[in-house]
Amino acid sequence: MTIKVSGLSHTYNAGLAYETKAVADVSFDVADGEFIGIIGHTGSGKSTLIQHLNGILKPDSGQIWIDGIDITGKGVKMHEIRKRVGMSFQYPEYQLFEETVYRDIAFGPRNLGLSDAEIDERVREAMDAVNLDFGEMAERSPFDLSGGQKRRAAIAGVIAMRPGVLILDEPTAGLDPKSHADVLSMIRSVHERMGAIVMLVSHNMEDIAAMSDRVFVMDMGRLVCSGTPAEVFADAEYLRGIGLGLPPSTEMARMLGLAAGAIRDMDDLIDAISRMRKGRDL
Amino acid sequence: MSGPPAADTGAVRAGCDRQDVNFKGQPYIEVRDLVFEYRRGSDTDGEPDVVMRAVDGVSLDVPRGSFTAIIGRNGSGKSTLAKNVNALFLPTSGSVTVDGMDTRDDAFVWEIRRRVGMVFQNPDNQLVSAVVEDDVAFGPENLGVAPDEIRERVRAALIAVDMTEQRKMAPHLLSGGQKQRVAIAGVVAMRPDAIIFDEPTAMLDPEGRREVMDVIGRLRADGVTIVLITHFMDETVDADRVVIMDRGRIVLDGTPAEVFRRADEIESLGLRLPFAVELASRLRRRGIDVPAGLLTPEAVAGWLRGSAA
Repeated sequence: MTIKVSGLSHTYNAGLAYETKAVADVSFDVADGEFIGIIGHTGSGKSTLIQHLNGILKPDSGQIWIDGIDITGKGVKMHEIRKRVGMSFQYPEYQLFEETVYRDIAFGPRNLGLSDAEIDERVREAMDAVNLDFGEMAERSPFDLSGGQKRRAAIAGVIAMRPGVLILDEPTAGLDPKSHADVLSMIRSVHERMGAIVMLVSHNMEDIAAMSDRVFVMDMGRLVCSGTPAEVFADAEYLRGIGLGLPPSTEMARMLGLAAGAIRDMDDLIDAISRMRKGRDL
Repeated sequence: MSGPPAADTGAVRAGCDRQDVNFKGQPYIEVRDLVFEYRRGSDTDGEPDVVMRAVDGVSLDVPRGSFTAIIGRNGSGKSTLAKNVNALFLPTSGSVTVDGMDTRDDAFVWEIRRRVGMVFQNPDNQLVSAVVEDDVAFGPENLGVAPDEIRERVRAALIAVDMTEQRKMAPHLLSGGQKQRVAIAGVVAMRPDAIIFDEPTAMLDPEGRREVMDVIGRLRADGVTIVLITHFMDETVDADRVVIMDRGRIVLDGTPAEVFRRADEIESLGLRLPFAVELASRLRRRGIDVPAGLLTPEAVAGWLRGSAA
């Protein structure tokens, strides 16, 4: 599975006074199995961009190839695209609607026309992936779950489609620290087990730095930089100028005059501080 | 006025009550043995009511002018407690008073809501008008405040949240942080004594979070009583007091330094430590003797630089 985007533009309210170029001439490639973090301030175009990747929005210009298929071309069957590209929106638990967790997760696979046995296998696999106990949870109402469980049940519905690309828009927003950690480890394990491309949109720089192979930075509809977390988080002034910041460990490293870009998380920071102090003791 | 004894609340009182030291006089908000239950069921299907006890025997004094942070898991009862304070919910048992006014007394409800404002997570759900300054004027207009006075209040509220420049704009064209600041201005224009912030930064980008926390700091400096509910531990380290809730009860209550010293308990409650506290504790395990009680990255960095020199 690969993604290629070329010259993608999308304008809201074209021709009106409030015309907004939400996405402006964005191009990128994503390799098989890559984990991409997407950051940018509110209104920078992240959500508009990702909504093009499974055909919810149509670009004004530009092309998008998913697995070699130009999804902006004529005659493309959208359900073929949505099978490949799974999208979890912000607060996906608001979209839970079935009587049981099982039926909610089974909704997508059923629409694919799978047999009951295949659907069952998909539901079990998805619940396992998001770490919801099948025996305990499958027949419960999704509305009786805790906040973090609801979020994971909603994402399981996307995973049950076995997408080759999994796009998650702010999957941890509003969760408490434990649920936040659970959702992150769930994303990591889905990425590893299914080998899917993951695109994670988040305001949490710590998560982005820890999880991503590459980070895309959006500002005013443009993809203004992309690179490894070390490359992207090396330029603190620039990021702050566009309403972003550094992961706390990277920020702390900067404060201490350490090579900040190389510090992704607290483990890196502690190693660097230990080395710094040993160096001075000599 | 000391807090309730630990036996009443299940709270582990971490050290002395700092509020006794720093804040004299009658507490502004007094929560006494509060129980609040959500009920649903019998109307349609004949099944017995399902009762969910969201707040289970909470007592809490909030002194005037103080900054109290409340943290806890999703579903621990934080928001339900907050909604009991400004009479959006009324106690199942126990009582809540604001400046001596009982929330169960109908005569006080509007005065309590004017004095204790609330700011919620999603700014889009809190803005009602097509122009920023009209939105800020909405509350005082409903109070029947005179037009000249409304203009003055709106002007002052927009200054307080640093949104004067955008006063003629449509709210939907603002950033998340700006929208949230307009929502706060709408509350400030009511001239409240206290504001309860229920996860005001959960949906914001890093800049938006900084903006909103700056505004909260300024309101505090102006003497507004602040109650902040949050999942971001780093937003609590400047508070006078941190209250941790679990399953409807207060389980830890003290200054940030006192509360965050209890690392194991906090982790077992499904919470995290503030960044600097976690870093310091892990550095200690590596043999770097960072003193306890440093709560901010700046403080830890300062110690590391000082001790290495």
